[in-house]
This record gives sequence, structure tokens and C-alpha cells, in this order.
Amino acid sequence: MSSDSSSSISNDGSTDQNPNPSPTAKPLDFLQERLASIALTEPNGGAESPSDQEPQAGVSNGSFIEEIQEVVQNNQAAGSEAVVEEVSESFTHGVVWRDNSEHEVDAPSSPSSSGYAGERGSSSATSESGIGEGGEDEIREVRNDDSVDGVSDLQQSWVPGKRHVDEDDASISWRKRKKHFFILSNSGKPIYSRYGDEHKLAGFSATLQAIISFVENGGDRVQLVRAGKHQVVFLVKGPIYLVCISCTEEPYESLRSQLELIYGQMLLILTKSVNRCFEKNPKFDMTPLLGGTDVVFSSLIHSFNWSLVLSGAQKASLHPDDMLLLSNFVMSSESFRTSESFSPICLPRYNPMAFLYAYVHYLDVDTYLMLLTTKSDAFYHLKDCRLRIETVLLKSNVLSEVQRSLLDGGMRVEDLPVDTSPRSGILSAHLGQHKVPTESPETSREEYIGVGGPFGLWHFIYRSIYLDQYVSSEFSPPINSSRQQKRLYRAYQKLYASMHDRGVGPPHKTQFRRDENYVLLCWVTPEFELYAAFDPLADKALAIRTCNRVCQWVKDVENEIFLLGASPFSW
Amino acid sequence: MGCSSSLPDRNSGRLGGLNAENGGAPDAKNLRVKLVLLGDSGVGKSCIVLRFVRGQFDPTSKVTVGASFLSQTIALQDSTTVKFEIWDTAGQERYAALAPLYYRGAAVAVVVYDITSPESFNKAQYWVKELQKHGSPDIVMALVGNKADLHENREVPVQDGIDYAEKNGMFFIETSAKTADNINQLFEEIAKRLPRPSSS
Repeated sequence: MSSDSSSSISNDGSTDQNPNPSPTAKPLDFLQERLASIALTEPNGGAESPSDQEPQAGVSNGSFIEEIQEVVQNNQAAGSEAVVEEVSESFTHGVVWRDNSEHEVDAPSSPSSSGYAGERGSSSATSESGIGEGGEDEIREVRNDDSVDGVSDLQQSWVPGKRHVDEDDASISWRKRKKHFFILSNSGKPIYSRYGDEHKLAGFSATLQAIISFVENGGDRVQLVRAGKHQVVFLVKGPIYLVCISCTEEPYESLRSQLELIYGQMLLILTKSVNRCFEKNPKFDMTPLLGGTDVVFSSLIHSFNWSLVLSGAQKASLHPDDMLLLSNFVMSSESFRTSESFSPICLPRYNPMAFLYAYVHYLDVDTYLMLLTTKSDAFYHLKDCRLRIETVLLKSNVLSEVQRSLLDGGMRVEDLPVDTSPRSGILSAHLGQHKVPTESPETSREEYIGVGGPFGLWHFIYRSIYLDQYVSSEFSPPINSSRQQKRLYRAYQKLYASMHDRGVGPPHKTQFRRDENYVLLCWVTPEFELYAAFDPLADKALAIRTCNRVCQWVKDVENEIFLLGASPFSW
Repeated sequence: MGCSSSLPDRNSGRLGGLNAENGGAPDAKNLRVKLVLLGDSGVGKSCIVLRFVRGQFDPTSKVTVGASFLSQTIALQDSTTVKFEIWDTAGQERYAALAPLYYRGAAVAVVVYDITSPESFNKAQYWVKELQKHGSPDIVMALVGNKADLHENREVPVQDGIDYAEKNGMFFIETSAKTADNINQLFEEIAKRLPRPSSS
């Protein structure tokens, strides 16, 4: 029951398998001592001490338990389930290091929710010795879903912090939320909840804990519970439990990797040494340690709507997950914008036990520079480095170029170059289409009547497998509103899951799917993956042709949009 | 607040901490001092600094992460200047263990509490003790009761602040970052109390 942090926790493997020999192996003992001492001084409040002895009793309390239709369990206690290193890539507008973590309109159908439009500005970060990390987000939201041409976006500050704190599990509005995330301790103490006040959710947390421990007591592990339209996804990380309850129909793998990222975000703030607090005091209350970080988690969860989590091997030392979490942390913490800062952070994929120190300085509203060091006393050195870097960036006009390119945006489907047949022939892989119509591109372009790019192309994402980088087109009409964008991402997500469905024979190479919303075309080769969305009435042959052109286009501008050369993100 | 004795880098042998390299010989006319702000989260440390450095007040609370660095130079009547290099630390519990990183080598510590919060006054006393144990022996300490504009919600009597400061050899002042009340006075008073390097 009291799962410790020893090696018996198999699913910790993903973070333990640190590819890097850690130069920062020296953990910060002082913080661990600090954390430990907090644990010791923690009063044994046990106000809602959740049925350690009788987990079954807790189960019967859970109202939604009655709806359980199917419990998927993994009978192997040790993690035979392959923990795939997940490479999380968020959408970029043409530049690789730019995360588009657009802030969602929360549960737009919910009566009490208001539409949040966010413009967080954008920024990019690089750091000393080629540690390029950080990111920017560019939030565009058109409040009126229709008839806005996407240029006159309403830009508005995203309201930071947690919303709907007044809710708890008895509130109807709380129950109607489409996607809940919870972090709790293995004694059932709430640590974080996306909606509502953690402390009011103590009973609910205890119920979740009871489910997990009930199954664990049987030598099993609960991973997924389906209850009608709801999926309840569990992730156990030593003494920390993470749970997602969602009716968004996202694939299990996606929800699970989102939980992994939330856990990583927690580690980024505290390191894994927080486990020791629970070893010393199982009833340790972790909420004070995460004080003020609601906004970091809510911003990350928000970004899940705009991020795709793709699987793949990753050789680079600065793991994309770490980059995503780090940039989320910096961009969601407003204080970094106020003045230069020096803050301890942990990169979970790099070394989950140790802190690094981040020097953060905003060069302008959209761009920040982050320098990472293992030395706690390196502030003045890094400040000096920053001054020199800034001077070079200014003198070389790089900063203004960055500004310009942020304004220009990335690739637009409307700009897709016209087909030039000889070129397409060069493509080593050519999406199979035996009877390619041989009409001239100009006339065919006129044939298509509608919005978007040629032949009804609305949007695409191209991922270079070799570079492990991707590019996606800017959103353009008719994918205007954040709701439409979210829907498209969800559709991609499903498409991705179906292309990468493990255990169902060899992976698919191509997929063409038409429903009332889109034509979706996916093409996976050893070199790249392409996901494209078209008008639902788009012609199949022309769509395939267009995909070939997109691939050619990306290859033509590869030098500009991707970071080439030896692993740009290695230390 | 239990554990105070754990110091960062205790084993590393580095003693410098976050101290500016001394850029030249000490100048009796142009002082440069490291100042650290400590105190519970939400008492207004960042607001005090931003009011002092930029003359701004932002009512939307922005939780400080780690520590922010700002500097401001003031001129005194005796025509000396004092450049404050200010470490505005995060008040959150998880950063408490990192505080030595910021207060080590500091010539001035400003310990802030919120006059509407007795808890924050207790926390301030914790910081004073910590500084007495681990700070520089000749550190200049100021005790600041912030949010003086909220006097109708006051829960920490002025006299409590005065008494505690006196007992611990500190300078005491109540401020309001919101109204700018006493903010400049705080830093001017600190500047006056700084030990002057004997002119060499």
C-alpha cells in the first residue's frame, strides 16, 4: 500500500532511464534536508485520514464507481508495458523553438465558464553553450468564431491562476467539467486539482486513493477506468498519484502522457527528492511546497489542447519534455517578466534528483534568454554572459529579425508553391497515387472554390523524424477559432493514435479519412510524418497531390525552418 | 519553520554566494551594497522593490520565482551615492532553503511582514533569527511592516514591531508600497546606517 520510491515502482522507469550521465549528480542536500524537515514538522493532522486500513470502505463511497463498466488492469506488477520515451512537441509556427501553447477556452459549453482569450506574447530562448531551450507562445484567439478573417484577433491577457476555486465535487458545474486533473499523495491527500479547491476535495481524493490502493492490494495496477463517456486514467509515481478524468474522447495514451508531463512539471519545481518527505511522514501535506504554482500547472494543462505528444527516440540531451516544461514554467510565471531572475529548476528527464539554476531575462516582451548552470553562485557570471549575448544579438539585428519573423508568422497554406512536376519527382518517397491527374496547377487551383489553401488544404503538420523537429502551418480560415483549432488537434491526436497503435500489426503508412468536418490525410515514412487537414469536400487525388507538394515545400525551406547540424539541444 | 541549519553549497567549499565581484577599490563616496529582502509570501516584498526602483505599483500579485535581481542608486545629502543591488527573494516555503544563497554576504537584510497578518510577523521573526545565526555579523537589518494603508485591517500593533526591532538591534518602519508611503525613507535610512569604508 504505502508504495515507496524504491525500484519496485516500475513505471518510474521512464524518468529513471536518464540517458545522460549526470554532471549535476550532486543533489542539493540542503533542499532535501529542508523538505525532510518539513515532513518531520508536519503535524499529524489526519483530519481526513483516508482509510489506509480499509480501502474498500472508501471505494463504496465513490459515486462514480457505480458507473464503472470496464476496468482495464495490468496483471503484471512490474512494468512490462513498454514505457515509451515520449517526445512531446508542441506546435510551432514555422520555427522549431516556438511553442504554441495557446490557452484554451475552458469548457466552452459549460454555463459558468467564460471564454479566455490569451495572448502571452512570444519569446525564444537560447542559452550558453548551445543549450537552446525555451520557447514562445503565440496566442491568437478570435472571439467570434465566424466571420473574422483571423487578422484582427482579439488579444487579451490570459487570466492566471486557478479558476472556479469555489467549486467542489458537490458542484454541478464541477462535475460537468470535461477534463479534470488531480495530483494526490498515496495517503489520499490532495496536492493539486485543476478545478476547485484542493482542500475541499479531500474526500474525493481519498476515493481516488482508495481505488488505486484497492487494486494495488490485489497485486494489480489500475490504469484506466471507463465509465460511460468518461475515462479515468491513473498514473502512480512512487508516493504521488496522478489522475485524469476526461470525457474528451482523447486516446488513453494521450491522457497518460499528459499525466506524465504534469508529474514532470512538479519535478521541475521540486525535484524527486520530495519523495523523502513521504518516506518520513506518509501524511505529509505537499500543497504548501507547491504554493503559487497553480498557474504553472493550469497553463501546462491548457497547452495540452495545442500540443501533440509524439513518441520517438530522442538522443538530444535536453529532452523536448524538459524544454516544454521549462518554457511553460517560465512563461506562466509572470515575475520573470519583471526583472532578471535566478531560480532553481529541475529538468526531470535530465536528472530528476538535482536542481539546476536558471538565469532568466526578457530581452523584450516576446523574447527571453535563459542560461542554465549547475552552479548556485554563477548569477553574476551569467548576468555578464547575458549582457554580451544581448549586445551581439542587438548588433547583428538578430533580435529584430526574431521580432519580424514572429510578426510574419510561419508557413501558410495559402503560400503553398504551385506544383512543379520535375521537383516532385525528386522526392524519394512519393505518396502513392497511380493516376495522378495531369492538369495544370493553375487551372486546378481555380477549380476549387472555397477557403484555405490550394485544393482545400486547411492545415498541416510535418515532423522530420531524423531531426526530431516539426513544423506546422499557421492557422488560417476556416480554422479560425480556438474551438475549431482544438477540435482539429483532437482529430490529429486520434489519427496519430490510430497510426501508432501498438500491437495491431505493422504500423500504417498512410491513412485517408473523411468525415463531416475534414478530410484528414496522414503519411508516415521513415523520414517524416505528415498530417494534413482538408476541406471535407476535397478531392482525394488532389489532396494526395497537395500533400506531396507540402512535403516538397518543407524540404525546400528545410534550412530555414529546422535547426540542422549536430544535435542543437545537447549540452 | 523547522530546519534552518541546512545551507546550500555547504559542502562545496564555495564561500562567495551571490556576491558581486568587487569592481574596483571600495570608494567611500560611492557605495555598492548587496541587499536582500526576506519575508513570507504575499507580504509585498516585490512591490516594495518595484516601488523603490521603478516607482510603480502593480496590484495584481505576481508570485516571485526563485529570486529577482534589481538595482537602484540613491544619492544622499552628504553627496555620497549608494547603489543597492537588491535580491528580491520568493516567499514560498520551497525556496526557504535557498535563502542563504541570497543573503550570504549581504550587507543589508530587509525583513518584511504584512501588518494585517500575524502569521507573517511570526515568519519575519523566523528570518531575523536565521540571519542572526547565519548572516554576516555586521549585517544591517531592517524590519518592515508593509501594507500600512490597510490600517483598518491591522492585526500587528505598531508597538509590537517597534519592540521586536529594538530588541534585535534593527531599524523599524511601516511602509505602503501601494501609496509609496515611507518607501524611499526606508532605503535612505538604510543607506545612512551603512558602515562607511574608512577612506584609504
